[in-house]
Amino acid sequence: MARDNAYQTEEVSSTRRVIAASSVGTLIEWYDFYIFGTLAKIISEQFFPKDNPTAALLATLATFAAGFVVRPFGALFFGRLGDLIGRKYTFLVTLVIMGGSTFAIGLVPGYKTIGFFAPAIVFLLRLLQGLALGGEYGGAATYVAEHSPDGQRGFWTSFIQTTATLGLFLALGVILVVRQTLTVPVFEDWGWRIPFIVSAFLVGVSIFIRLKMSESPMFAKMKKEGKTSANPLAESFKQKDNLKMVLIALLGATAGQGVVWYTGQFYALSFLQNACNIEFEQSNTIILVALVLGTPFFVLFGALSDKIGRKYIMMAGMLIAVVSYRPIYTMMYNNADLKQKTEVIEKTVVSDPKVEVKGTDTVTTIVTNKTYADGTTYNETVKTTVPLDETKKAALTAAGKLKPEKKKSVILPKEIYYKMIGFVFVQVIFVTMVYGPIAAFLVEIFPTRIRYTSMSLPYHIGNGVFGGLVPLISTRLVEATRPAPGLPPADPLAGLWYPILIASVSFVIGMLYISNKTNNMDVE
Amino acid sequence: MSVIKRLFGIVWSLMGVGIIPLVIMQAMKEIAAKPSEENWIFWSIVIVVLMPIISFSLITFGVFALKGEYDVIA
Repeated sequence: MARDNAYQTEEVSSTRRVIAASSVGTLIEWYDFYIFGTLAKIISEQFFPKDNPTAALLATLATFAAGFVVRPFGALFFGRLGDLIGRKYTFLVTLVIMGGSTFAIGLVPGYKTIGFFAPAIVFLLRLLQGLALGGEYGGAATYVAEHSPDGQRGFWTSFIQTTATLGLFLALGVILVVRQTLTVPVFEDWGWRIPFIVSAFLVGVSIFIRLKMSESPMFAKMKKEGKTSANPLAESFKQKDNLKMVLIALLGATAGQGVVWYTGQFYALSFLQNACNIEFEQSNTIILVALVLGTPFFVLFGALSDKIGRKYIMMAGMLIAVVSYRPIYTMMYNNADLKQKTEVIEKTVVSDPKVEVKGTDTVTTIVTNKTYADGTTYNETVKTTVPLDETKKAALTAAGKLKPEKKKSVILPKEIYYKMIGFVFVQVIFVTMVYGPIAAFLVEIFPTRIRYTSMSLPYHIGNGVFGGLVPLISTRLVEATRPAPGLPPADPLAGLWYPILIASVSFVIGMLYISNKTNNMDVE
Repeated sequence: MSVIKRLFGIVWSLMGVGIIPLVIMQAMKEIAAKPSEENWIFWSIVIVVLMPIISFSLITFGVFALKGEYDVIA
């Protein structure tokens, strides 16, 4: 009895080590991937100047290609490798590629220094990031699942599921701390490089930890018996029995999960900043706090899926998200909408125009500060840039290009700020419902010999393509409701129709075709 | 339940097929109205990346469902 207990304790301790080592590496990979996206605006100014059309095009491609072209490609490439040579070495390679490319982005000289080489190098490094990410997740989820005891696979793999959200949290946190420490102008000049360079240290630690890990016991056994797949790609996607599971995983689970994940975190942030005009730090901390409060629920729903099955938790998450997105976003919008607030006129301050000569232009800046009865404050900075050269000025005026640049910033009072955290937190809960059990679900529907390849592709198409396109398609849908350029959109919530549609289809397919297996499936 | 699964197979296949002309027509309409670089990039992404994935997966999935491949899921 005592011997059994000692064995069990040792087994749990070993599983914990595996989870910790895998999760830290995956978390760092997500961190690396997100700092580029979070700092996209600054990176664009440093490497992809708007006046160079090729560089601007590369900027767009770098943003999207890494997500939806290279990620699935990385899933296939590293998935195949993982099923051929093993999980451990494959996801060690992805970590080195991710860390190396992130560190290198932090060192690339700007466009002003090396010209077109700057955007070209950054573009290539970003592609490498996407490639590495495509290989990492499947490896980590498979590795952990293959170490997990039956009956607890949902619980143990849920720690891997927390890493995407914690990676985003870490990225936002590091950026906010560095930005506050260095001041905004210094951060925008060179300080933005620090979060990239910090990655080298994080990756170094993670590589050291992963090097000490042993191969997955299931894969090691299979390799010893000579039962590994000779051609994982063909077995995964050419054999009908496996292809049909890949399709069900994609259409009934990961596509819906991907859009719910991106809406609850990225779209929420974008909505706070662009539709509600909430100030940079306030909007970021709303997301940060909601993520921290929501993260334990990944583990909760992962563990719950061991008891009641993966399907109903994931489907419930999708259904509740579909039904409640519009009411939640309506409340978010209304709480920040200045038209619905009463302005305290006597507190309104409009600055005198500040005129400066910058290079060949005259820049006139007017700042307006307004206060509202509920404590909301509003800051509007209007900058008008006019060329000193009269001919240029006349040409720009005739072309209608002399438009002032407006920066709006709303700072919410504490009460509404907490409400906003609540609205985002609810969305993070949907994320945890769809995402917490999905690693266990994916590893259990594919056999060990082709698991890495088979689960990686639907995961990265679901998240990279369906989810990754949420910002692009949603912005487009909102723009389509704008009556004329310069006027506000008629329906600022129109962007939600894309995730609602995808999650609805995914819900119907999932409910009809996915079986509610619990942990009892033999993963061998 | 198997009958419902098979009948829905027709729905998925039709959705997969129907989305192709729908997306291409919308793209042509919007690009003709405003042939900006932004429009070209957006519709290229939708037509080259998103549409083939949705169409291929829905059609294949629908055909499998119609043939009863999903009547019993392990």
